[in-house]
Amino acid sequence: MIRFEKVSKTYPGPGKPALDNVSIDIEKGEFVFLVGTSGSGKSTALRLVLRESRPTSGRVYVAGKEVNRLAGWKVPRLRRQIGTVFQDFRLLQSKTVSENVAFALQVIGKPKSEIDRVVPSTLELVGLEGKGDRLPDELSGGEQQRVAIARAFVNRPMILIADEPTGNLDPTTSAGIMKLLGRINETGTTVLMATHDEYVVDQMQKRVVELDHGRVTRDEARGGYGSQVV
Amino acid sequence: MQLRHSFTELRQGLRRNISMHIAVVLTLFVSLTLVGLGALLNQQAVKAADQWGSELQITVYLCRDGDDNPACLSEVTDPQKQQIASVVEDNPEVADWYTESKAQAFEKVKELFGPERFEGPDAALTADDMAESVWITLEDPDEYEGIVSALRGLPGVARIQDLRDVVGPILSSIDALKYGAIGTAAFLVLAALLLVANTIRLAALARRKEIGIMRLVGASTLYIALPFLMEALVTAFLGVALAAGALAAFLKFGIIDRAAQGLTFMPWIGWDDYYVTLIGIGILGPVLTLLPTLLLTRKYIKV
Repeated sequence: MIRFEKVSKTYPGPGKPALDNVSIDIEKGEFVFLVGTSGSGKSTALRLVLRESRPTSGRVYVAGKEVNRLAGWKVPRLRRQIGTVFQDFRLLQSKTVSENVAFALQVIGKPKSEIDRVVPSTLELVGLEGKGDRLPDELSGGEQQRVAIARAFVNRPMILIADEPTGNLDPTTSAGIMKLLGRINETGTTVLMATHDEYVVDQMQKRVVELDHGRVTRDEARGGYGSQVV
Repeated sequence: MQLRHSFTELRQGLRRNISMHIAVVLTLFVSLTLVGLGALLNQQAVKAADQWGSELQITVYLCRDGDDNPACLSEVTDPQKQQIASVVEDNPEVADWYTESKAQAFEKVKELFGPERFEGPDAALTADDMAESVWITLEDPDEYEGIVSALRGLPGVARIQDLRDVVGPILSSIDALKYGAIGTAAFLVLAALLLVANTIRLAALARRKEIGIMRLVGASTLYIALPFLMEALVTAFLGVALAAGALAAFLKFGIIDRAAQGLTFMPWIGWDDYYVTLIGIGILGPVLTLLPTLLLTRKYIKV
């Protein structure tokens, strides 16, 4: 589903590459943690999957397509297959919960009838039934992240990318969010999550890919945050 | 494509950035009015030149029966005309020439003042009152003395009119106004372009969160840019509408009701010229707003 083939990424200016000859292969339906310290290259890897930037060398494949060779006008189509969740939720504060989720469908031209049908069921899936009319600032952090996940998942993407989704949440709330991501993963959606959160990685016991200074230092099928290098 | 969101964004964008939009509309209004004014004045100059000949022409009026010029003893004779023609033909300063008959001169007068005054038994003038003339276009407008001195005093020549003496000052005034309008318009057009660019930048900044989310969920570039393009079209429409009104007022109250009534010897621009100008500013207005919008939205909302 996602494949990095000898991918390097160097940003302009002096300094070491953000990614250095990275090769990772993620199968359809997998749940993968991308761990590592700040500056290890986690966010760069996610940006390459989303075609927010292109590798300096090597190839990145998403859903069978080499994304760095994708024509600009085809990029939106790629992103419709990828849901994205961030640490800071990125919700539109002037829109209600339902409107925030519906927004993701509106802007890709889905008909109103479909939006009206899909949004409530997605809110129910993420445990926000009955809260559709609330504004984001009336919700707790965990609930806001659920709205963000609902927005990312409402179009039923093949891949869900989460960049530190529990970074702003307390452990109990984080556990709830991880449970939700686990359920989404069980629907067949591939989940790639960059995180610093040792607790959630240890709890989930999923595949862990560790990056250090842009290199893969560990790729463990059922690992914890600090497992030994294999 | 679902356009509901685009229209909502358009409404919000116009409201959020109202002062900038007003500035764009007013700048467009003034610059398009000046461009339109320049175009109308150009038409006016063309009309005047068509009527009187171009600035390069000199006109030789031939003797007619009872001419004011004492040198004219009678109507110009055919041998005199042949002699004049050969002098004109052989002169190296002459680029082109043609003769205008009495009937042609009479038609011109009728066209200018209206035919009703020149028909029937009480006609103010008849074709016989008109003089035949030779219209000469010079190779170089400054090289006219040779031909004038060759023709002056020739039998059958009543007077030589250098059209630059008559038309020149009028055409110069129109030209000065035209270039003044177009020159000022050029500065204002630049101001309008910069204002549009600034407006887009502010709008993109205000919507950066929405735009970021739209890009992430896979909205197409066109869809993201649509509210910006629609804002550009709305401001262009308002600017063009105001300029069209101002130009219509100029034509009606300045030309048709005033200048054309006072200076009847001159042909004046009319509504036909206005419509042509309107098409011009109708195209220019949207181009001025859409062009920077397209360029900048590519930069700010690049997928």
